[in-house]
Amino acid sequence: MDVWTLWGRTSTAGEEAQCLSAPSGYWQFSIGAVSVLIERRGLWVSGLLLSVLLLASLGYLALGTETLSLAALWPALQGNGDPFSVFIVQELRLPRLAAAWWTGAAFAVAGCLMQTLARNRLATPGIIGIDNGATAFAVASVVGLGVSLAPPAMALIGSATAASITFGLASGNDTRGYRFIVAGIGIGAVFGAVTQLLLSQVDIDSANAAYPWTVGTLNARSLGAVNLLFAGLLLGLPAAIALGRSLSGMRFSDAVAAGMGIPLKHRRIQVLTLAVLLTALAVAVAGPVGMVGLIGPEIARSLSSPRGVPLVASALAGALVMVLADLVGRLLLAPVELPVGIVTALVGGPWLLCILLRPSRS
Amino acid sequence: MMIPHLSKPHREAGLWRVMALLLLLLAVTAIISVLLGAGEVTPARALAVLVGHGDDEATFVVGSLRAPRTLIGIVVGISLGVAGALLQAVSRNPLAEPGLLGVSAGAAFAVGVALCLGASAATLRIAVGQVGALLGCLAVLSVVRLRGMGSDPVRLILAGAAFSALLASLTSLLLLFDQRAADEIRFWVVGSLAGRHVDDLLAILPSLVLALAISAIIARPLAALALGERVASGLGHHPGRVRLLVVLAVALMVGAATAVAGPIAFVGLVVPFAARALAGPDVRRTLWLCLPLGPLMVLAADIISRLIVAPSELPIGVLTALIGAPVLVVVVRARRLPTL
Repeated sequence: MDVWTLWGRTSTAGEEAQCLSAPSGYWQFSIGAVSVLIERRGLWVSGLLLSVLLLASLGYLALGTETLSLAALWPALQGNGDPFSVFIVQELRLPRLAAAWWTGAAFAVAGCLMQTLARNRLATPGIIGIDNGATAFAVASVVGLGVSLAPPAMALIGSATAASITFGLASGNDTRGYRFIVAGIGIGAVFGAVTQLLLSQVDIDSANAAYPWTVGTLNARSLGAVNLLFAGLLLGLPAAIALGRSLSGMRFSDAVAAGMGIPLKHRRIQVLTLAVLLTALAVAVAGPVGMVGLIGPEIARSLSSPRGVPLVASALAGALVMVLADLVGRLLLAPVELPVGIVTALVGGPWLLCILLRPSRS
Repeated sequence: MMIPHLSKPHREAGLWRVMALLLLLLAVTAIISVLLGAGEVTPARALAVLVGHGDDEATFVVGSLRAPRTLIGIVVGISLGVAGALLQAVSRNPLAEPGLLGVSAGAAFAVGVALCLGASAATLRIAVGQVGALLGCLAVLSVVRLRGMGSDPVRLILAGAAFSALLASLTSLLLLFDQRAADEIRFWVVGSLAGRHVDDLLAILPSLVLALAISAIIARPLAALALGERVASGLGHHPGRVRLLVVLAVALMVGAATAVAGPIAFVGLVVPFAARALAGPDVRRTLWLCLPLGPLMVLAADIISRLIVAPSELPIGVLTALIGAPVLVVVVRARRLPTL
């Protein structure tokens, strides 16, 4: 069993002497007593995903109801093209692209964290009802039921509520396996019903205003929520990477993880908190686009080596999926815009069925 | 089998006693459903109509609004409850529920397509819903048989959830394009008994009768099937044929109920769950108890949905989800998932 990860630490001179040469497939960087192992394949995968993501982003900026040539795009990006394309790029597409990046990354990292925690790749926040909890609370704030908190804060409260109920219900037995997921589906159904309940309370205009919240779209984002999500990612992604070493041990059974010296109880709470936080902030921007949390880590895992938990690759893949899905949603039936949540559900639903139908390896 | 110290006649007597109690409860609920409402007509005035000397307004409200609504609630409740019990018996899975398995989503999608294509006649919609339910039912069950997932109750639900999510997003895709259909379907898609007419009731009655007849025929083979396919074959039944008939009956009932009242989830989970708790695992006894229990749940949810936010209304699907999801969690939390 090989559990080398991105961050290794050698503390004593003896140990350092033992692993002077990095294990195969890794680069080793040493600064004083601390050395860092970087997995080569991980770097390649991240580089590949990043370049594809940049390409997709270029396409995202250029294509739309008003198509810009690459020659027109570059000056517009710098702010000195013709005013119309500058407006399109700087005011319309660039902020939306940024929102797609951040939400995709946040959903995918949260999905990856939850999958690792539950040891089941179907246990993404979207499926176990955390999205629905966040949505229900955010809708409560949008339709204004005498609640004065901003949608991101409400989404945070909602997802924390849903996650703690699901974990509370399941932890009596085990947090892995399908049982936990079905408990989550039940909780998700309750919160979905609450959302419907809230929507049926208000007049038709408010209901229409809250409609994007129920399907997931990048069209109705608020700037404040995007900034908050960005800040959350800036803090959350490094925190997740710092947890990476523990995470790669937590993939195995509790006994193995405990034997490796991982403080399971603390780590579980930290991982769960992080996943809930990222999900909530992303839902506050784009609504429940939970399928990204399933597809992103899945892509990342199929590319990466099985040695670690591919957090960075998940973030990049999630952003890529989000950018592509939103681009397809904008282009496919232009001028009608498909909400990104519908596009990801159309792709993710069959994917989910595929995962379920694939013969299990055991 | 379940209660060894009681001989069969005693258990039958117990069943009928429970049945009578439930029917009484159902009658009371139905009368309450006629008496209470969000509008001007008070229970006293509605009662006056029932005993034969009400004023015009009350007669109208009771006769053409509340009474059809109550009757449709009863029919929908019977359909969903019995369909759930049949589906659970044939898949031997206590979680198999038409709403969770994508049968309702199939019906909803088909109805959405029909609405977009310009259909609005009640009977056409019901036929379309039944075809959609049939396809949804066949899709999920064949997938399950194909992969041999019947042994894992929970995976079936996940497959159903994925299937439902897919169909739901397809439905909302349709609605993006057709504003008229979107307006028509918005209130339908959450499930409601409000504003249904006697015509709707008459339109779904034949399929309910047919489906109940099928259920009566296959109850015995189903009970044998619970002992395993080989035992059932040995007893002279045809498991394949039984399964097909179940799918047909479920599609008839769920399709009709969905076309009239919209997709109402969790009734097919909660009702057989309660029926089994009262009657034990024999599918024949379960089916009997589903007859009063289904309408009881739907009517109770409908009454609450009318009163809780009066003068406006809650979609009934919201309430059944609020009741049903905890039951789902309870079933799943049971230390050992019972296979039927």
